[in-house]
Amino acid sequence: MQTFNYTITDELGIHARPAGLLVKLAAGFKSDIIISKDGKEANAKRIMALMSLGATKGTEVTIKVEGPDEGEAAKAVEEFLKANL
Amino acid sequence: MGLFDFMKKKGISIAAPVKGECIPISEVADATFAEEILGKGIAVKPAEGKIYAPADGVVSTVFPTGHAVGVTTPEGVEILIHVGLDTVQLKGQFFRTLVEENQQVSKGDLLLEADISEIAGAGYDTVTPVIICNSSDFSEVKCMAGGQVNVGDEVITCAK
Repeated sequence: MQTFNYTITDELGIHARPAGLLVKLAAGFKSDIIISKDGKEANAKRIMALMSLGATKGTEVTIKVEGPDEGEAAKAVEEFLKANL
Repeated sequence: MGLFDFMKKKGISIAAPVKGECIPISEVADATFAEEILGKGIAVKPAEGKIYAPADGVVSTVFPTGHAVGVTTPEGVEILIHVGLDTVQLKGQFFRTLVEENQQVSKGDLLLEADISEIAGAGYDTVTPVIICNSSDFSEVKCMAGGQVNVGDEVITCAK
């Protein structure tokens, strides 16, 4: 399993567009990708769950990636977060 | 009773949350919606700013900015109503949310109010996509092609 933390720096947080794009990216991997905030977990392949996290600017989220392509998936998600959120 | 009526009974019915002109999602001037990145659905060019629950369910997400709301039905249909395009940028201005996350709602309950003339005046497109975020969980998401709709008119049918 790969785990890392990320603090949201985008002023608008995880709203509809970044959630949609993140799901599109996550869906390309076999691994389970879970994003959590204060104990609340969201499957990164589900848009509504991601939006429900309420991850606004300054929020620290934890990303857990587990599965056959976890290394590649974790790297891609981290790059996505840095570029978009 | 035609075949369509039969299918309507079998599927999960999602209603227009706002009065206006229904258009195909592909005609929305925002690729995130038009290319169905958020899921299948329709959009309404709203005639007024009162947004009502499109089905019975629980409020699954309320954006702090008040520009969008999610409702999940008992059958698990995850519906996102996004009032206007790029309206996240308004940071809550011209929006008033009337429900809270995890609140039970009935079809037709008022969810939020948007001042659509002010939103349009600020330079935003007020077109309101109604999206089934988990479209891939259903064998069919049937969307109305167009026409005038009133609050409560069926615009989407989901079949398991």
